[in-house]
Amino acid sequence: MNTGQIISGAGHLALIGWALFGGAFRSDPPPFEVVEAMAISSEDYAAILAASTAPEAVANVNTPEPPAPGENAPALASEADSAPAQSQPPANPAPPPDPVPSPPEPVPAPAEVADTAPEVTPPAEDVAALVPQVSPRPQPRPAPRVAPEPVAPSEPDVRVDEVTRPEVAPDAGAVVEEAPQEATAPEEAATEIVTEAERPRDPAPTSSPRPRARPAVAAARPDPAPAPTPAPPTEAATRPAPAPAPTPAPAPTPPATDRGAVSDALAAALGQGTPTPERPAGPPLTAGEKDALRVAVQRCWNVGSLSSEALATTVVVSVPMFENGKPDTGGIRMLNHSGGSAAAAQQAYEAARRAIIRCGNDGFNLPPEKFEQWRDIEMTFNPERMRIK
Amino acid sequence: MMRSLLTLLAALTLWAAPATSQQGGPLRLEITEGVIEPMPVAVPDFVADTPAAQEFARNIARVIAADLTGTGLFREIPAEAHISRITSFESPVQFADWRAINAQAMVTGAVNVDGAGRVVVRFRIYDVFAGQELGQGQQLVGQRDGWRRIAHKVADQVYARITGEGGYFDSRVVFVSESGPKNQRAKRLAIMDYDGANIQFLTDAASIVLAPRFSPTGDRVLYTSYETGFPRIYVLDVASVGRRALPTLDGTMAFAPRFSPDGRTVLYSLTQGGNTDLYSMDIGSGASTRLTTAPSIETAPSYSPDGRQIVFESDRSGTPQLYIMSASGGEARRISFGEGRYGTPVWSPRGDLVAFTKQSKGRFHIGVMRVDGSEERLLTASFLDEGPTWAPNGRVIMFTRETQGAQGEARLYSVDITGRNLRQVATPGGASDPSWGPLQN
Amino acid sequence: MTYLSKTMILVAGLALAACTNPNRFEDQAGAGLGGGGFGAGAGSVSDPTSPAYFQQAIGDRVLFAVDQSTLSPTAQATLDGQAGWLMTNRDFTAVIEGHADEQGTREYNLALGARRANAVQEYLVSRGVAGNRLRVVSFGKERPIEICSDESCYAKNRRAVTVLAAGLGS
Repeated sequence: MNTGQIISGAGHLALIGWALFGGAFRSDPPPFEVVEAMAISSEDYAAILAASTAPEAVANVNTPEPPAPGENAPALASEADSAPAQSQPPANPAPPPDPVPSPPEPVPAPAEVADTAPEVTPPAEDVAALVPQVSPRPQPRPAPRVAPEPVAPSEPDVRVDEVTRPEVAPDAGAVVEEAPQEATAPEEAATEIVTEAERPRDPAPTSSPRPRARPAVAAARPDPAPAPTPAPPTEAATRPAPAPAPTPAPAPTPPATDRGAVSDALAAALGQGTPTPERPAGPPLTAGEKDALRVAVQRCWNVGSLSSEALATTVVVSVPMFENGKPDTGGIRMLNHSGGSAAAAQQAYEAARRAIIRCGNDGFNLPPEKFEQWRDIEMTFNPERMRIK
Repeated sequence: MMRSLLTLLAALTLWAAPATSQQGGPLRLEITEGVIEPMPVAVPDFVADTPAAQEFARNIARVIAADLTGTGLFREIPAEAHISRITSFESPVQFADWRAINAQAMVTGAVNVDGAGRVVVRFRIYDVFAGQELGQGQQLVGQRDGWRRIAHKVADQVYARITGEGGYFDSRVVFVSESGPKNQRAKRLAIMDYDGANIQFLTDAASIVLAPRFSPTGDRVLYTSYETGFPRIYVLDVASVGRRALPTLDGTMAFAPRFSPDGRTVLYSLTQGGNTDLYSMDIGSGASTRLTTAPSIETAPSYSPDGRQIVFESDRSGTPQLYIMSASGGEARRISFGEGRYGTPVWSPRGDLVAFTKQSKGRFHIGVMRVDGSEERLLTASFLDEGPTWAPNGRVIMFTRETQGAQGEARLYSVDITGRNLRQVATPGGASDPSWGPLQN
Repeated sequence: MTYLSKTMILVAGLALAACTNPNRFEDQAGAGLGGGGFGAGAGSVSDPTSPAYFQQAIGDRVLFAVDQSTLSPTAQATLDGQAGWLMTNRDFTAVIEGHADEQGTREYNLALGARRANAVQEYLVSRGVAGNRLRVVSFGKERPIEICSDESCYAKNRRAVTVLAAGLGS
């Protein structure tokens, strides 16, 4: 067979193919009919058109009708009956019933439904303890996690799994038990984002000018502290020894005594009797203690859902503490912010507040005898280093 | 050990911080390391105020949850895990129940179908751990068949309220729907919701169509078609699906059109005598202005959001690279200097980044760089990725990915500009050349 | 699809192939992308004045190196033949279609295909063919002739095809 014949043959095949699929014979359904199958009755189509031609359909802004508390009393969720009244033909492309004059940006105009926010519920602390204690990680997480440490620490997440899994002994068989999940672990906690383009396993590693020396090590996540006890261990407690930190309570150190002596002396000098028994301030927190607190908070500080502007905003948050090591959540407030707009600061503050409340849910591991040292905490959340991850 | 090193570093930072005011004042701490992970969010089914609203109540909550989790910034806590139900929109939320399952944010809502048959949705957003409502409740009203748009609008509000960034869910994408084998591929213009729902075809498959581009308001689409046998640019009105060809010189080819930010000018490539240059056309009068005159290929132009500059692709240096010049033409400065070939630059809606296609060592990438060419970052890698388009909020990029070989097929993908959350966009068949439209009104 | 309908379509296809069809994309040997191309029935290869002879005996296409639009000696020889045929058969016009392989962006490949088609056009004109008998068009990477993703296919896809059309006088 010479080339001409091959070409000719190929051409004929192509021609036939075209005749079959290209639409020469209209009666023959073209392959993309598949699509049309999933679309659209003619009414639906009209409806789509209507929707697209009449955007105000949706945008018809919220007529502010503050729902009186009792208004929707018959809020029954029981009627099994679904989708009635389809009798009404879908709106025709004609303008919608009430031609709202289509304000330029109709949507947001936030008509408030009711301004009274439902009252705050009792603090969660007690309840959390009742919760069925953590099962090992459920399904592998859909999205990557970036954490300061390559080994993702156990989170205070209390997750309820549909499947009750057997508890696993802390160190022993965990690895085997969780093997299938380990497989996905590398995605989960890298020290920085690894894009598809940067993945080392690419056959043809592409060079991006951006230096990215650190191998994105990710770590198999140790089984999240299976804690047989009903009460979830605190963050700091389960954490594998943050630093070679000194143990909690160093004996009263000189400064404190000095201070006491001074105040005694002062009091004496002022001619007062013995001062009212004041709680001891205790010595300043050690570096290790502060570090433990800091690590505990940053573990819950999730900046993943912040806008880039919020990620450029540093907020200083005041955190009043209870003596049991829990933050007074109602008293948390933003002291100041820098780097971004007030709106961005609000989101940044909310992320910071969530971190404090979530990880402080069971109380931070702080030395009680030094309560006076930490009864007021000022935390500066500076996301600068997180921006580049 | 990385960990102890970090701890040490952190400790040092701590010491360095002027936080030593132990006497008296508050304890001061600086937090500089956090985590980046999806925020757990609960979107329980909305409350149906009437039986007629029941289906909407469930479906709307599902679409909201899908929108949020689709960003990669949120993770939904499945309904089976909920230990408390929302049975009334007005009753106080039992925050403890939601904290217990680690829901950090929650959306509640109620749906009514009013006398006119319209769907009325009220919703609230909560910060569960703070036990506070975020912002204030809102109400949206729409036609029954517009319920998905209502859901997208709610999700946009949630997204904006939590991230501080505008959403992108109530938006549409125009693209080329593909079918048939590689050498006989049928191409039709199609439009769909950003999530692949509500597909509608705008052209038939009789002629090749390429690279549609939305107008800034989403009412029109520019595209290239071989209707006459030669590539010409058409402008199509989305509502009426009516189209007209833009005027062009006989014997030339026109392609790669893109609207100016004000929607009045079209940038495009015109090939004459084998040479491809950039032109702009006043879409009203049809008058064209030539912007480049080099013997090299100049194509794929895109305006800056202020309309004053143009980023484009040119092989004047020998390989295709990216350049920026004034919108009126003139001298251009090169901004791409990495190894490989660069193409299809698209200016981000925020103005600070340019997304592009890069070809290097036999692979294709979608990447972003700053407007001055610095901080190039490749987000994807595959046999063939090309044609990025920006989400209205500038946080997500959609593009075409084509697989290798005789059975190769094109599909749409999206990726966060950080490189996270790469995922395929649901389309019923092959799809290419997406153009992401604006948020709808 | 039944055998019968396949047969019918085959027959119909062959019948069609004998006609010119302005909306056809692909018929004989890759010709006819533009419009007005001649099919297999357009004469016999043994007839030197037939389009079939032009397509098969002379060769209606030339190939290019990666990213290039310069004509190789082989390509020039083919084009010399094309020019000669066009000079003798003055009733025909031609559309020169430029193509690229799939390694490249859509836009760049369109422009690259145009360069290739233009190189062919200029060469033919330099050999005496009247410029007004030739038009160029680029399909970029939209219409590969070979569909694998290897150099063996790419080499055949980087091409410019001279597609004959009914001429000025006919």
